[in-house]
Amino acid sequence: MHIPEADLEYLIRTLSEARSRATELAVSIGSRLGGEHRLTQLANSAASGIETTLREIRNGVAEKQDAQPVPRKPEIHTSSPVVASFAEVSGLDAEHWLPAFVQELLAHARLGGGITFERVERLLQQRKDEFLRDFLIARRMYRTYPHLFPEFADRARRATAP
Amino acid sequence: MNFDSREFDKLTRQAAEMMSDIGDVPILLRSRLGEHHRISRAADEMLTGIETLVRELRSFDASAAKPFIDKAFIDQDAGETDFVVS
Repeated sequence: MHIPEADLEYLIRTLSEARSRATELAVSIGSRLGGEHRLTQLANSAASGIETTLREIRNGVAEKQDAQPVPRKPEIHTSSPVVASFAEVSGLDAEHWLPAFVQELLAHARLGGGITFERVERLLQQRKDEFLRDFLIARRMYRTYPHLFPEFADRARRATAP
Repeated sequence: MNFDSREFDKLTRQAAEMMSDIGDVPILLRSRLGEHHRISRAADEMLTGIETLVRELRSFDASAAKPFIDKAFIDQDAGETDFVVS
């Protein structure tokens, strides 16, 4: 596989953005029509198609780089001192996504990648995508097993009560 | 309860914009890798899926559809999806 670096950057960026937009569309359509509606399924399928293409491209790049040493991805632990101190200073819970995001960004910078607007955007987009995926799974679980989430059911009843 | 067809017009517009933005991805991949490469084929299928979604959204009659409400997790405001991240 030979794709120039600039093209790869463009492809990954475009597809990452599109995946996020498609996921948001699927959530919006699903919230209006329900998960079983054909349009919701088409939107989910579109998001899945983008995800597949993105994965194929990343796999292709990884195969190409197999012979080269791969820099170790920094591990992020919410119990690490940086995360804990940032959470403490900002008043956020240590489990909040922002301290972990800042830690990940700093770890990338320490590995020599620097901190650019583009990198921040990409990492933030990844966080958002992860959140949306978790959100969809949680919502599906709630719909399938509502009895496991009595607190949400009570809240929903109060919200819809006259 | 409001089930505004304008919301669907907005969703349709967003999907069409996404299709437009992503339209040259399959072209670029075909030119770099050839049309039979698995990545090119994945990109073609991806675009076909998005085109189908846009076509179905355009032909969808929102005013005739029965609304589906799931307020436990999501709050809709004029077509925007707001998530509360805590």
